Amino acid sequence: MTEPESPIIAQLNAEKTSLFPAVASPSDSYNEAFSASGKPREHWQSLLNALEKKGASSLTRAYERAGHMRHDDGATINPFDDPLQRSTAWDLDPVPLLIDAAEWSQVEAGLTQRAHLLEKILADVYGEQQLVKSGSLPVELVFANPNFIYSCHNIRPPGNRFLSFYAADIYRSGDGRFRVLRDYAASPGGLGYALENRIVMSRVFSELYHTTQTLRLAPFFMSFHRALMKHASLGQENPGIVLLSPGPDSHIYFEHALLSRYLGYPLVESQDLTVRNGRVFLKKLAGLEPVEAIFRHLPDLSCDPFTLRRETTNGVAGLIQVCRENNIAIVNPIGSGIVDTPALSTVLPSLCNTLLNQPLLLENHPTWWCGNPEGYNHVMNNLKNLTLGHALEHGSLEDNLTDPANLIRSAPHKYMASAPLRPGTAPCWNQYGAQSCYTLLRVFVCATEKGFTVMPGGLAVTATETGTLTKNSPEQQRSKDVWVLSERPVEPFSLLEGFHSIDEFKRSSDLPSRVADHLLWLGRYLERTEGLVRLLRLVFRKISGEDRPQDIPELGFLLKLLRARNIIPSPAKNAPEIPLFHELSNHLNNALSRKSGGDSVITLLRSVQNGAHKVRDHLSLDSSRIINHLEELAHSFAIDPLEFLDEILFALSSFSGLAMESMTRSLGWRFMDMGRRVERAINQTRLISVALPLVNTEPRNTLEALLEISDSTMTYRARYRSAFQLAPVLDLLLADESNPKSLAFQLNQITEHIEHLPRQRERRFAYQEERIALQMLTAVRLLELHDLHDGMESSRNEELAAFLVSISNDLKEFSQHITGHYLTRIQTTPHFAMIPGDRT
Amino acid sequence: MKYAITHTTAYSYSEPASLSQNELFLSPRATQHQSMIQHDLSILPEPQYRHRRRDFFGNTVDVFMVQHPHNKLAVTSKSIVQTSHQAIPDPYTTPPWEEMAKRLTSSCQQTDFEAFQFLFASPLITVSSQAASYAKTSFAPGTPLLAGALNLMERIFTEFSYDKTASTVDTTVDQVIANRRGVCQDFAHLAISCLRSLGLAARYVSGYLETIPAPGKQKLVGSDASHAWVSIFVPDFGWVDFDPTNNMVVGESHITLAWGRDYGDVAPVKGVVMGGGNHRLTVNVDVAVKND
Repeated sequence: MTEPESPIIAQLNAEKTSLFPAVASPSDSYNEAFSASGKPREHWQSLLNALEKKGASSLTRAYERAGHMRHDDGATINPFDDPLQRSTAWDLDPVPLLIDAAEWSQVEAGLTQRAHLLEKILADVYGEQQLVKSGSLPVELVFANPNFIYSCHNIRPPGNRFLSFYAADIYRSGDGRFRVLRDYAASPGGLGYALENRIVMSRVFSELYHTTQTLRLAPFFMSFHRALMKHASLGQENPGIVLLSPGPDSHIYFEHALLSRYLGYPLVESQDLTVRNGRVFLKKLAGLEPVEAIFRHLPDLSCDPFTLRRETTNGVAGLIQVCRENNIAIVNPIGSGIVDTPALSTVLPSLCNTLLNQPLLLENHPTWWCGNPEGYNHVMNNLKNLTLGHALEHGSLEDNLTDPANLIRSAPHKYMASAPLRPGTAPCWNQYGAQSCYTLLRVFVCATEKGFTVMPGGLAVTATETGTLTKNSPEQQRSKDVWVLSERPVEPFSLLEGFHSIDEFKRSSDLPSRVADHLLWLGRYLERTEGLVRLLRLVFRKISGEDRPQDIPELGFLLKLLRARNIIPSPAKNAPEIPLFHELSNHLNNALSRKSGGDSVITLLRSVQNGAHKVRDHLSLDSSRIINHLEELAHSFAIDPLEFLDEILFALSSFSGLAMESMTRSLGWRFMDMGRRVERAINQTRLISVALPLVNTEPRNTLEALLEISDSTMTYRARYRSAFQLAPVLDLLLADESNPKSLAFQLNQITEHIEHLPRQRERRFAYQEERIALQMLTAVRLLELHDLHDGMESSRNEELAAFLVSISNDLKEFSQHITGHYLTRIQTTPHFAMIPGDRT
Repeated sequence: MKYAITHTTAYSYSEPASLSQNELFLSPRATQHQSMIQHDLSILPEPQYRHRRRDFFGNTVDVFMVQHPHNKLAVTSKSIVQTSHQAIPDPYTTPPWEEMAKRLTSSCQQTDFEAFQFLFASPLITVSSQAASYAKTSFAPGTPLLAGALNLMERIFTEFSYDKTASTVDTTVDQVIANRRGVCQDFAHLAISCLRSLGLAARYVSGYLETIPAPGKQKLVGSDASHAWVSIFVPDFGWVDFDPTNNMVVGESHITLAWGRDYGDVAPVKGVVMGGGNHRLTVNVDVAVKND
């Protein structure tokens, strides 16, 4: 078998030249892999040789394999806010970036020093403020800085750790020295992607990875965890550490989920947490569980909508108050965004001298802040050659500024400018072959028990244009794993097993109420969609023949069912039950595809997708794939309606099967199944209520349709081998506990689920929902059906109708009690009194 | 003047509220021309959690949480304060405003430290070109600092109309400039924005004002309200308070509660509630002269 080859690769192979032509690098950039003379640098030699031996086609295969692995792990970045927009898988380059031991130790020293310095600055800004008082730190960088959070002043974090986790973007300048482009502390991103890249690379190039002496990442995570345990004085047994994420809509949610799994910190969202008595708690089904430390992935200003007076759904109201009480360790403490202030770097060299009595080891990218006279003059005189940016917050200025000088003059302290970026280049590989790309490196530092440690590796971001590198456009960037080479053999260290015993948090089957709630509704929407699809499929089948709609006997019943669910409108007064063909097909098309104004297959599918999206880290990969497939289907209903409905039904069944199959029989599964049972019970009750009055006029057709919608025709035929009769049909659909479609079956399951939910009171049937479930089950078991027959007398008829009404009310009440007991999500409203004042 | 102030903030909810967190800036500050004699806070229902602290600006802040379901919440603050006349320098002998602005933005004299934090835009007070150009009329080159500020105050008083329906808590300075109407909070924000646009330090003061009933009318208990005004920093002198809503230099009848960069820093009562359905808020303020 021959590999398809791109023209570049073909050419390379033909000429038998090196896979990585060193000449591709622009002359004024530092080339990571090759020296100026075009020879490979020493520490790249063995990797380049190994890759050369593998050959182009094998590298391309590795590239594709890596892509698939990352895709399977869900390593995506959603560049859009719409949760249903397709996520972009971020490209991983199979050629790692190598850094040798000696160079890395310099980077390490520089980053450690910088972290020390930044922590001291934070401690001062949120404490004595001597630096501002003495003039070492310009007042604007504190008091005009939106990153300085007044309400956090005077809070001393546990263990005095103002900075536990720090990241920087560094690059290689033309002279081969590393320089710092940006600093991050509020909620640095990228750690999870760096980890994912390493996991994938160590699998794709497992041999190469293990023969190269590459430093492992796992010890870094271990230090991170140990230091957090230490400075937060957490108990070893059951540390209440959570990872706080904005949720699946975050474009880097994958990273949060991965870090949560890897570190063993439960992944929570803001609404999972609450504050009581000056402490933070996690809301779980069984009650409130204390939280002692938070690894947050929210920006400073979203952390506490109460104290920071933000109208946001993110954040935990009262969190800063808990910090004041010293009852929580947050990585990093709220307010650490000061470090992210772009202009802060301009004063680091002098502050390093003042605070540490040392010169700053890692230089900054050349920047000038307009808030001081020298910077201002330099920028004003060199506007053409510099890139102007915000000094106090991240984000670029408008592209085509008409009068930048005037803008700066209006508030000089808000602006800064930087020299053009010329980062180093590294060899890259993609499906088209080799390329030399500009490379930026995100590196990570965490607190240890004594000081700081640097992760040996990081996330390299590459692009063919320097502009793309600094823009937030992941779809145009690619990433690389960073291999820091060791001079000594490397201790093997498993990345995947995690590093501390699985704690109670994880083992317990308890789960956050929010997740249970989403799962319950996912179950309900799945069932609701499936029910509608079955019903519509039957309608389309009936009308696809030659008969006029008016001549199809059971159509009246089916349309009544659609009306009972508000899918199609009721006929106008005096209009016939069954509308004319064109009107009917209008209604049915709406039932399939309308996007608003009531339920349709499309809107219900959307609810299923949204629901699945919210709990996607609780679903298996295969079930997520089916959701993706459903999304494609939803866009293709132009095909024949019957075919469309069949496909949907098939996908839904596979999803339910897989989701059910791959979930442990834990609380999550119970809530999802309970949702499904409740919905099916409601559906079944409504079905029979609508059918009952029609049985007298159209017994045969109605009963047949009833069985068909309930997917019970086969069971009926197998069991009774007789014509359709009312009593056996109702028995099968209502009371037969062995028929998975019957009402009794649903109620039986519901009762069983209820028994397994966590409860505070020991006594059984202490809760309303338990009593209602038992009441419903008993009622259906005691139901007298055998003496019913088609021409039944009206008192029996009324009795059964009354039974159905009472079950339907009980089901509603049951749902409310479950929600009230376990799942309550209450609206939060801020209130502020206006100060009108008075004119005297 | 000695005053007894009663300030009641009451919420009633259409459905039980399960959790309520509140922050109060209701304790009068001690200043050069005000001493606090007594301050009592009563909260119903009894909160499960209470905390008192001094904030960044030196204000006393009470935080409390009611953690069980409740249909009503009432916060009553009772204070007795003694106020005196505010001595201010002769406005026309204060130095030119440019000199002050230069001193504040270029040097870092220890004595001016408390002014630095009030120099810049803050969450609720933007400093826009509209504010700057409105300010310029009062601050021709060489205008003495305080004279300019008092002129600005008078212009706001005459050019803007007092209108309780014109604004909300979130009305921006630019909207106030465009609409030419608002309440004391808006006028204070506007004046501060103008002063900061010139590089001067100005802070927001929250408090009360004793209202004098119309001639021949009995004063109604509870008819007073929270009030807000502006304080400007005059280097080598200190802070001078003035009230743009009433076009007056703050005097004996103004009672100071707290100050900060803007309303958001010192809202007398702010909070979040979980649940509660529809809220009804009633605020009653009574400022009475206390004769011993």
